[in-house]
Amino acid sequence: MSSFFDLPFEDDDAAAAPPPPPEPEPRRVLTVSQLTARIRTTLEEQFFEVWVEGELSNCKVWTSGHMYFTLKDRGAQIKGVMFGSSLRLLRFKPQDGLRVVARGRVSVYGPKGEYQLSCEHMEPEGLGARQLAFEQLKERLSAAGLFDPQRKRPLPALPRKIGIVTSLDGAAVRDIIKVLRRRYANAHLVIRPTRVQGEGAAMDIMRAIRAIGRVRDVDVVIIGRGGGSIEDLWAFNEEVVARAIAGCPVPTISAVGHETDVTIADFVADLRAPTPSAAAEMVVSRKDDFCARIDRLTHQLETTMSARLHRLEARLRMLEARSGYAGAHGRVAMRSRHAAELTHELRRAIRTHLARRERAYHALRLKLETFDLRRRLGAIRARLATADGQLAAAFTRAHHRHDARLRTAVARLDSLSPLAVLGRGYAVCWDADRTHVIRDAATVDAGDRVRVTLHRGELECDVTSRRPQG
Amino acid sequence: MDPTIKDFEAALTELDTIVKKLEDGDIPLEQSLQLFERGVQLSRFCHARLEEAERRIEILNERGQLQEATNTLMNEDESQKAKGKGQKSDL
Repeated sequence: MSSFFDLPFEDDDAAAAPPPPPEPEPRRVLTVSQLTARIRTTLEEQFFEVWVEGELSNCKVWTSGHMYFTLKDRGAQIKGVMFGSSLRLLRFKPQDGLRVVARGRVSVYGPKGEYQLSCEHMEPEGLGARQLAFEQLKERLSAAGLFDPQRKRPLPALPRKIGIVTSLDGAAVRDIIKVLRRRYANAHLVIRPTRVQGEGAAMDIMRAIRAIGRVRDVDVVIIGRGGGSIEDLWAFNEEVVARAIAGCPVPTISAVGHETDVTIADFVADLRAPTPSAAAEMVVSRKDDFCARIDRLTHQLETTMSARLHRLEARLRMLEARSGYAGAHGRVAMRSRHAAELTHELRRAIRTHLARRERAYHALRLKLETFDLRRRLGAIRARLATADGQLAAAFTRAHHRHDARLRTAVARLDSLSPLAVLGRGYAVCWDADRTHVIRDAATVDAGDRVRVTLHRGELECDVTSRRPQG
Repeated sequence: MDPTIKDFEAALTELDTIVKKLEDGDIPLEQSLQLFERGVQLSRFCHARLEEAERRIEILNERGQLQEATNTLMNEDESQKAKGKGQKSDL
């Protein structure tokens, strides 16, 4: 079927011998075949290569891979065929209703008395081949999920190295560097130069994206070029570039041409920048954001902490103003001795506690003092002054705790004290200098002096006799 | 850098959390001091990371090698005015 236009016509004589009839001759009768052969010759010689525009209809691709169609306008139509080998080279898919410009030759098919346009090339008219190719690629990649929002990766909070894929000759690279230098002076850039227009540019860009995606620490890539005609920007509409962007291991920003230029690359990239300068700003504006955020958080950290220390200090002052546990002194001797010991222990505990806290405080103070000296030194120093309240606060806390402990201890002492028993009528007998309690009558002699402690007051007694036990 | 800090983003998130915790004010003094200390540490880390990148421009060539960019490119911002490429571009 593929070659039926080229079938040799059955009447070779007629084709080989065109009649030269200048004089009217009596009835030269042609067979249908002869006539067809002459039409064929005429048409195929006359329309060996012709461009024709019209609207496609009845498009149908056969299993052979060839496409049959009708090309028409308001007044006429012509059947057409396009072989698979030619069809495959088209950048768009011919569809019914599409206005096209077709190149081909006219051929005649004798057996059916038909002539056809044997089409070798076709491009869409009006929409433009590029536009259509664009739409169709866009549709295909979209169907493949390359534009899905969930594919979009966030840019790194803070790029370590910024990759740039563009031409070294273009305006884009200069714009990007200029913006980055202004807003992120210490940015580390890695540029992978590439052609960005002309034959082979798309492959070049694809290789560049792949290469830069592998550079260590490059964690964001800007892909782009400056403004130009739609033809100049075309490489960024090629599928190889789109696929390379989609396959880039780190987030990408597309920055092609001007704001109004939209390319396939824009749809695939994680982020679209209207211009190369804007792409640079998208990367470094994040540094500005974070600087502000860190400063704000640090400030909050400091104010919260110092507010707390202030509160603690105030509490301490209140506590100091009260007489507190001072009243524990001056009671019964034994009790006060215990109390004194306890107080001593308490003080020691507080001192230890404070010493520990002070060490921590000094460590903290050191850190604070070295912290971001350039910008915040003044503020930090001021806060350090208030941070002294921290020590006071530590004291407060210990004080509270130990005060409570002291009270319980004293209460317990009360219940255990032998002196409490005296209230019930018992007495304690001491030796003369009140250093020992006398527990055994054998330890004193008649004539010794002893002291007796009663519930209220004390007696000095002389022993007149003794009756040791046993 | 401090091994207890994963990266810039993690540090920032933790700092955020610490500030919130401290502002809630419901935690013992001892712990709040520890948090404060940690916060200061994180804040320093973040600032350090912001300043840490080197001011460099490298060119990745066809053979995959990195080279320092030429001075003309490095000083682009200074020499830009003098050397407007004849491209039709407003960028």
